[in-house]
Amino acid sequence: VSAASAPALSSQLIVAMATAPHTWLRLVPSCRSYSKATRLHKIDYPWKDEPKPHWVRQFEARRVDADLTPENRDWLRQWRLQRVRDAVASSSEAAAAASPLKEPPAARPLWTPRVSQRCGLVGIKLGILPMWYRNGQKVHTTVVQIPDQRVLRWVPPEDLGNYASLREMRPYRLNQSLLPRWLTQQRWGLQLVGAVPADPANFTAQWCGIFKAAGLPPMRKISRFLVSPDAALQPGACLGLHHFRVGDCVDVVARTVNRGFQGVMERHLMEGGPAAHGSTKFHRKMGSAAGGGGPIYRGKRMPGVMGNRFRAARSLPVLRVNTKHRLLFIKGFTPGPPHSYCQIMDSWMLDVRRSLDANPPPMPTYFAEDAPEGGYPEDVYHPDLLPYDQPLELPD
Amino acid sequence: CFSCQHPARDATSAISSSWQLRPVPGLQVPLRLPSDRRPPVRRFACPASIAAASAAASPAVPPGPPLAPAGIARVYKPRLSPEAMKEFWRLSGIGPDHSRAKAADQQAEVPPEIKRLYQEALPPIVSQDYRDPIVESLHRAEMMRRRRVINIPEFHVGSILAVSVMDKHAPNKVNRFVGLCILRRHTGLFTTFTLRNMVDQVCVQIEYELYSPSIVSIQLLKLERRLDDNLLYLMDAPHSHCTIPFDMVPEPYSRNDPVPVNRERVRLNPPPWMCKWHLHGYQGIDLEHLYSYLSDKDVAKAIEFSKAYKRYDLLDQYLNRVPVPDADYAFKDIFIQHQELLQHQQQQQ
Repeated sequence: VSAASAPALSSQLIVAMATAPHTWLRLVPSCRSYSKATRLHKIDYPWKDEPKPHWVRQFEARRVDADLTPENRDWLRQWRLQRVRDAVASSSEAAAAASPLKEPPAARPLWTPRVSQRCGLVGIKLGILPMWYRNGQKVHTTVVQIPDQRVLRWVPPEDLGNYASLREMRPYRLNQSLLPRWLTQQRWGLQLVGAVPADPANFTAQWCGIFKAAGLPPMRKISRFLVSPDAALQPGACLGLHHFRVGDCVDVVARTVNRGFQGVMERHLMEGGPAAHGSTKFHRKMGSAAGGGGPIYRGKRMPGVMGNRFRAARSLPVLRVNTKHRLLFIKGFTPGPPHSYCQIMDSWMLDVRRSLDANPPPMPTYFAEDAPEGGYPEDVYHPDLLPYDQPLELPD
Repeated sequence: CFSCQHPARDATSAISSSWQLRPVPGLQVPLRLPSDRRPPVRRFACPASIAAASAAASPAVPPGPPLAPAGIARVYKPRLSPEAMKEFWRLSGIGPDHSRAKAADQQAEVPPEIKRLYQEALPPIVSQDYRDPIVESLHRAEMMRRRRVINIPEFHVGSILAVSVMDKHAPNKVNRFVGLCILRRHTGLFTTFTLRNMVDQVCVQIEYELYSPSIVSIQLLKLERRLDDNLLYLMDAPHSHCTIPFDMVPEPYSRNDPVPVNRERVRLNPPPWMCKWHLHGYQGIDLEHLYSYLSDKDVAKAIEFSKAYKRYDLLDQYLNRVPVPDADYAFKDIFIQHQELLQHQQQQQ
């Protein structure tokens, strides 16, 4: 969307925020005058955590072609899947390296301390595997599989204000009274990444059209990452398993397990009432909703659907990498049930960023030329981790 | 139609004619009604004119992202369905490795000693949403890797074991404990077992993780099975039932023989008990002696519980068992790795 065609609403908004926030916020009273409950950022509207683009229908009911025999239908499906496989293979790193038309590699950007923020990966959480450190301590690792993924689009920071889906201002008005800093400071741009290529017959033509512009087969998942301009990747770029190294600390953002409709005792850890001693129908209730007959304030903790929200597990080291099944073994637990998507990115925690400055990761992503001689073994372990086929040797 | 003068349809003309006055014979009525009593004029427009009118009213605006998504009632499922996972694995080629199971299919049936040795290789009994074939195969592979370092014998609940663990505070850096196995739970690398014994007239129960690298050795002193899956009722039994000497000599056993079953029935101490032992279907407790401590109501409840109605509860059986194809697959996978382990042990010798 060019700046000329779209109205300059967001830029005015951003400027207004920077200069005189109190004039714009007259509609929303100051949070400080309310109790703590209104400061909670859990007020949501129905499409808050909808995957973007939520304005494009993704799935389409499969057409039932009565003219096709079952054998032909299966043949056509195999033909479609083979087309997807070929499209993925042709856009892979190996194909680019082997192509006779390959251009000399452009100068790769350098890691700039306190500036660079790389793209992340989309992963599929599989389960949990326990492992042990070399000092005998147990550690639980989350097994995450990295599917085929390609870069779809790059939106530079100056275009964020004009980017269609970011112009919806209601979420910020309802929850925080200020726009987020990644939008106002314009240090980072938006990187769209598509993951898990699949049979095009699953999807609508509109959804497939999003990928056509980048020359990619349609994929199930589109994710956004906030990336600095020096680490920007152009459409079609390949993201792989070795984007993260063993020892790198990552943030994993995923949707938590949906626990269904829960009462206040489960959802908000309220006390409830006494189980006995004459308590009449007051065992698991909220009690009072407001004080002195006053109105119930926005954000009052009440029963409702628990879970199913995006949460981040911060600063988790990658302890092991398996190249056969394309697995990352990340220390600790990540949100979400098995077979759910997760976003994995370089951690935003300051101590991790400082350690990355000392030991910069492959910028802007891993390429074949970064591989060590002889390739990677099937399993790469963190030096502190004890593989199961080695005995434990404790120091005396 | 009032806007485009299209002739009205038959239905509309029928409706409009009903408003017209019908002459009543013998009644003097005026030819026309006063205008305020006239029925309101119904104006009927054809669809074409309606569309044209609406198009003229609202100018064409490029649709931006709507304030609410089109299918707001849709449920967003951020998970891949099992079909989607299979398609993804088939397309990318990074799915679970079925080569071992295929190799085992060509051989004779998996010998029964595999099912005795590798009870924890079975997949966990949880809902299908929480099971993944790649993670289960990783568990099995790591279990076999650990068995190259340490020998884990076959044991059941009721067997007597001696376990040595690394302990930096012990004189020989190794801590040895002998006990009766009363519990064995979880699957895969999470498998744990609990040993119980008397130490200086104090009951001690220690839970060990079977695949922890701090275990130096697991020695089987007596191979035996009991009538129950767990012996937790020994906590309310006389201490003589779980007193095992630390210098017990291991009894020889043969892998080919069936596991001997100890059919003793334990007499519990008088109540109060830690748990309502009469409500769990234990066969290893002396039930007559147990019921002598209970009231008639409790005895009736216990007898009601022990009725074999669960045999007919199909859903209970389905939910509390590993599906047979999954169990077969797991044992086939383990069988091939077991043979590789034997080869590795022979090479080491």
